[in-house]
Amino acid sequence: MTIRNIIFLGLILLGIVIAMVPENTTKPYKLTAEEMLVEVQGAAEMVSADDVAHWVISKDPSLQLIDVRSPDEFQTYHLEGAINIPLSVILKDEYQDMLDQGIKMNVLYSNGTINSHQAWMILRQLGFENNYVMQGGLNYWFDTIMNPQEPSVYSADEEFAKYDFRKAASSALGGGGAVALSAPAKTKADKPKIIRKKKKKAPAGGC
Amino acid sequence: MGPLVPQEIIGADWNLFIAFVIGIGFGFVLEQAGFSSSRKLAGLFYGYDTVVLKVFFTGAITAMLGLLFFSLFGWIDLSLIYVNPTFIWSAITGGVIMGAGFIIGGFCPGTSVCAAAIGKIDAMVFIGGILLGIFFFAEGFSFMKDFYMAGAYGPLKVSDFFGISGGVMALLVIIAALVMFKLGELAEKKWPREEY
Repeated sequence: MTIRNIIFLGLILLGIVIAMVPENTTKPYKLTAEEMLVEVQGAAEMVSADDVAHWVISKDPSLQLIDVRSPDEFQTYHLEGAINIPLSVILKDEYQDMLDQGIKMNVLYSNGTINSHQAWMILRQLGFENNYVMQGGLNYWFDTIMNPQEPSVYSADEEFAKYDFRKAASSALGGGGAVALSAPAKTKADKPKIIRKKKKKAPAGGC
Repeated sequence: MGPLVPQEIIGADWNLFIAFVIGIGFGFVLEQAGFSSSRKLAGLFYGYDTVVLKVFFTGAITAMLGLLFFSLFGWIDLSLIYVNPTFIWSAITGGVIMGAGFIIGGFCPGTSVCAAAIGKIDAMVFIGGILLGIFFFAEGFSFMKDFYMAGAYGPLKVSDFFGISGGVMALLVIIAALVMFKLGELAEKKWPREEY
């Protein structure tokens, strides 16, 4: 057998191998388990419900609320300006531009924080930036922002400031009721820094 | 991890530099393999020399298998690889014009530059023809734009068109190539040319 025929045979064998194996369409995760652990422990993905309320009321254009609950729940109630991307379809291509971008700050929320965290974990492992989780979820939102409890008289001043803000936020967002004790507290929330991401260029080339 | 350039693991400047080095290497190999002779390319049409077919198809098969295996091992994300968009009518027309140019001129764009570099006058004339063609195409583009854009299929792959996997397509291409190599060698025996 000549060398040429051996090469021919080798090529055919490689061809058969590549024809038999399933195509690898998986996109490898971008973060290792160790990196992920550091991120989770840092809890930098959490934003408080008060901050979210502040951004919603001030109509912050860089905020994008994302409701990861089912469409039914979304129909029943959702936060102002939120869009619905249920957890089950979060990997669909049509949402990728929205979830993997460097312009807006996506705040994910669900009823509690489990589903929103699950969504965040997946997105983060894919290497997406600028996704955050609303602390406490909608349940906490209702308890604190929409129906704030008056702090006891012995509470610290910040507690009252927070309460005032929540009262004001509640009436601005159409919840609870009572008038604020004083003018809405100016708690300019520090926003997590949006990481501007270089837009991935469409594959280009040619000969 | 790959592809390196679209993911900017290799920056734009290095990209050009690497392209330069590869280009020099490509030209050198073309020259060494005798592709700077216009008879070599024309020989494919007349059947007395099918080396061009073998070389380029071997290159294509190697690259194809490399990409598919790299993808299998998770070393490259094929969705980021540039696939030329298909405009079927201009592709066919362009193919006919280019093929005729190969036979008449005896060069493909790459080998013409290669041959011009070693001082072949016919290659320089050929390059002049390429430049003229580019000029008239660009100037006349508005007249043929509709035709040029007709039959757009986007970045279509043959395997997608037939609904088969990339691997099966690769096997078919390899078999087709080997059959062509054999046919080419038969042609060389049938229409031999002693001296060219």
